[in-house]
Amino acid sequence: MAEKTKKALKLPEAGGWPDAAAPWMLLGGAVLATIGFVLTFTLAPLVLGASVDGVELIGGQMVANKLLLSQKIFYFHMPVAITSFVALAFTAYYGIRFLMTKEKRFDTCGKIATEIALLFILCTMFSGELWERFEWGVWWTWEPRLTTYFILMLVVIAYFILRNAIDDPERRATYASVFGIIAFVDAPICFMITRLVPSGVHPVIFRTDSGLSPDMLVPLLLSMFGFFLIAFGLYRLRFRQTRLAERVEAVKEQLED
Amino acid sequence: MTRAKKAAAAARPAGSVALARPSTFQQYKTLLRKDLEQEFRTKEMLTSMGIYALLVLVVYGAALAQTTSTLDVLQMSGGLLWALVVFTSLLGLNRSFSHEKEQGCLEGILLVPLDRSVIFLAKATSNLLFLLVVEVIAVPLFYFFFLTTTTPGESFWLLVVPLFVGTVGVAGIGTLLSTITINTRGKDVMLAVLFIPLIFPLLWACVSATTAVVVGGEGYMDVFFPSLLLAGGYDVIMILLSWVLYDFVISA
Amino acid sequence: MNPVLVEIYSTILPAAPYVIGAYALIFLALFVYVFMVVRGLKKTEKQMAVLEEAIEEQRRD
Repeated sequence: MAEKTKKALKLPEAGGWPDAAAPWMLLGGAVLATIGFVLTFTLAPLVLGASVDGVELIGGQMVANKLLLSQKIFYFHMPVAITSFVALAFTAYYGIRFLMTKEKRFDTCGKIATEIALLFILCTMFSGELWERFEWGVWWTWEPRLTTYFILMLVVIAYFILRNAIDDPERRATYASVFGIIAFVDAPICFMITRLVPSGVHPVIFRTDSGLSPDMLVPLLLSMFGFFLIAFGLYRLRFRQTRLAERVEAVKEQLED
Repeated sequence: MTRAKKAAAAARPAGSVALARPSTFQQYKTLLRKDLEQEFRTKEMLTSMGIYALLVLVVYGAALAQTTSTLDVLQMSGGLLWALVVFTSLLGLNRSFSHEKEQGCLEGILLVPLDRSVIFLAKATSNLLFLLVVEVIAVPLFYFFFLTTTTPGESFWLLVVPLFVGTVGVAGIGTLLSTITINTRGKDVMLAVLFIPLIFPLLWACVSATTAVVVGGEGYMDVFFPSLLLAGGYDVIMILLSWVLYDFVISA
Repeated sequence: MNPVLVEIYSTILPAAPYVIGAYALIFLALFVYVFMVVRGLKKTEKQMAVLEEAIEEQRRD
């Protein structure tokens, strides 16, 4: 019976192999992220902090600085942040697709992508917040990247407030798409701000001569890939749910007629 | 034909009927003149924004009353000035579309076969002009109230540059956002919710540029130029985006 | 223990709860989201079943 109401739309995506793979992707992503987390402690070397008086031989190396465990947060803080940017890029992409085709499905995709972005932004904020509390001893400071990222969070929240404030679905989709595209402008600003306004806390990672050794790169890339998989799995899961809800609405309307 | 329609929409006596299709620039001029004439007649926007700016200054007076002269007002003045600009422009942007909507003027304009982005340019220009007029009144008042007791840097007059660059951006993004929020529930709050986070990078850059020139001192240009460049870049990107996207927004 | 070594390792133990806490928080947030989505999915599936029954009844009438 449900099949009868399934719309035969041309381009947009419905259920299919990604939905079958989504739970496994979630699981695989979680496993990868966990392996990355473990390797963070076993493979990646500790980063040197402030120097101490005296030198000590540890594992065949002379160490004259404090070893920092708190830096380990970087191996999952940064992948989560990158994932949120990618999700936002999808919001903008689906926004453009919607404005071009006026196909409601793209708006649904955009909305879900933004939801995932908000989720990962919150995760980034949580983990960054804990690091900041330990390392700087404050809960909040107006450091450039922290500030721009916070603003990004507000913009994404504003996206949902805007959606809630419009009743007409067509108009809501258009406005949300437009706002999603504009909101995406903030993501590169966030990304670039450490280059424009050096603060010394958020290092510039993406460059040709980045100071990451392979030992550090492996756990980083593992958890980055893991979080990408998680984000995709979550996206498909939520997409399936939203599509089902939309179909329920459609059937309801049909029944009422 | 278009002019007659537009004139009727703006509720003013129709002039001569032009038979030739007006150029885009002419359309732009007509739309801009409509806004300005309406403003000259009612003086609604300018008075409300001007009074509001004055009231914000009064609030500043209370807020800074306990600080005495030990506090460096100069360091803060850039930020205070920009807070004033942001709140005043929020008020103005909120109103800029409400009377179009109330009198059904927007429908009239949309009936005219013109490029929709012309509407954006005209509206953004009129918003920019109103904001600039208010700033011309508010900034000297700000100086009068808060800066006469201090000695601003030599480069003080350069403050018009970030002020102008920032206001252009505010008018550009604000026009798009106020068109969006006019059709939402709780539109006054909605504009603030959308506008303030989006304007933040611009605000940040403008405050840093303004503070640099107001305080002056050695090497202020090292802060002034990068900040101004940042603000200018943000302006260009945002206005281009708004310009492209405006068609979708106003047609929805 | 060697005082220099103590100094070198001084930040590791205090930092551990924060690092692990941050990681746990990320996964907690993700789990909460999954939980919410799955709950929504269950609910809509139930609604769908009810609707299917209603359609079936309508057809029989």
